[in-house]
Amino acid sequence: MKLNERSVAHYATCNSPPDKTGFLFKKGERNTAYHRRWFILKGNMLFYFEEKESREPVGVIVLEGCTVELCESESEEFAFAIKFDCVKAKVYKMAAENQAAMESWVKALSRASFDYMRLVVKELERQLEEVQEEARSSQAKSMLKKHQLQLQGATFSLQNATITGPSQEGVSSRENGVSWSKPPSVPNGVRDTQGDCSERGDGVRPPPVPPRRKTNGGSLESPVSPGTGCFSKLHDWYGKEVAELRIEWLQSQIHW
Amino acid sequence: MCAKSLTSISPVFPTTVVKRRVVKLIVNFLFYFRTDEDEPIGALLLEQCRVEREDDQVFSIVFLDEAERKYLFECDSQEQCVEWIDAVVKASYEFMRKNLIYYRTEIHRLTGKDPLEQYGISDETRFQVNSGLPPAAT
Repeated sequence: MKLNERSVAHYATCNSPPDKTGFLFKKGERNTAYHRRWFILKGNMLFYFEEKESREPVGVIVLEGCTVELCESESEEFAFAIKFDCVKAKVYKMAAENQAAMESWVKALSRASFDYMRLVVKELERQLEEVQEEARSSQAKSMLKKHQLQLQGATFSLQNATITGPSQEGVSSRENGVSWSKPPSVPNGVRDTQGDCSERGDGVRPPPVPPRRKTNGGSLESPVSPGTGCFSKLHDWYGKEVAELRIEWLQSQIHW
Repeated sequence: MCAKSLTSISPVFPTTVVKRRVVKLIVNFLFYFRTDEDEPIGALLLEQCRVEREDDQVFSIVFLDEAERKYLFECDSQEQCVEWIDAVVKASYEFMRKNLIYYRTEIHRLTGKDPLEQYGISDETRFQVNSGLPPAAT
């Protein structure tokens, strides 16, 4: 069977990090003595070289679907074998130089398969999605709470407010042309007064009040009045600052 | 594992030889068969290679150590071509290792915990950002 041998050999010696290297004894195919070879494990491929300094591997064992077993050998201590399911397949008999090396190699080789790597990747992918989903939903929950509080404040003082900017859904930008009178009473003890950050019952501080935007005329009006008629522009103008502040506040609140 | 019938195009000067083959992608190997046989006639290890779209239905695999040689494959449709390119790109052990390291680092960043610890595999060299082992013989 043909193989892209040159490229396979290149993979063995290229600078991608090997998973394990070391000397092992390998039982020969024709000459059944054990020969000392330099082994390099990369991914699911076990390459072996005549010498540590050799430029090209003498051979390679594809480890996919293999099992690694300890085995008894008349001549060698610390012997193990690489076996495959297929009846026709060769059994590779190996021996390490000491107990620790043998255990380390057996462990490394038995987990060298592509399938094993794929399994771990899928599991981490799933975990990351979970973590990201949790972050998103807790972000949404705290935004919802924040908006609810603002809306409560808003309801109380609507009759007194002078609004010169648009009020967006759920987000009332209190600076920049929107002035609120103090709400007479606010449930759960939060007072959203300007410049004042009071503590809520559950210990979470409401976001700091954004600084007043200064315009040329020194007035507090928004530079873009509702009369402009371009709501997307307005959304951008308000939205950007709110978004930035939102992120800043959330980052200070989230404890990982 | 996906088995599809592709046409392999071997540029053999002065003519191009076009052969119909059954191609199977199994882990990081691309096996190819003559359509009526059980045993593959050949295989390509898909590490250290680059996959590119050559045409609507044609993609190529080029190995980094032999960049002049393109293995060309013609698919039956554009969709099939896109699928194959995606599959081949993801078929490398090194590609998966990179993904794993990314996920591990990201989960650790977001949660402060190493996700591999619960499985007792944190120390395996294959999962390290930098395995720290010296490169192979030069």
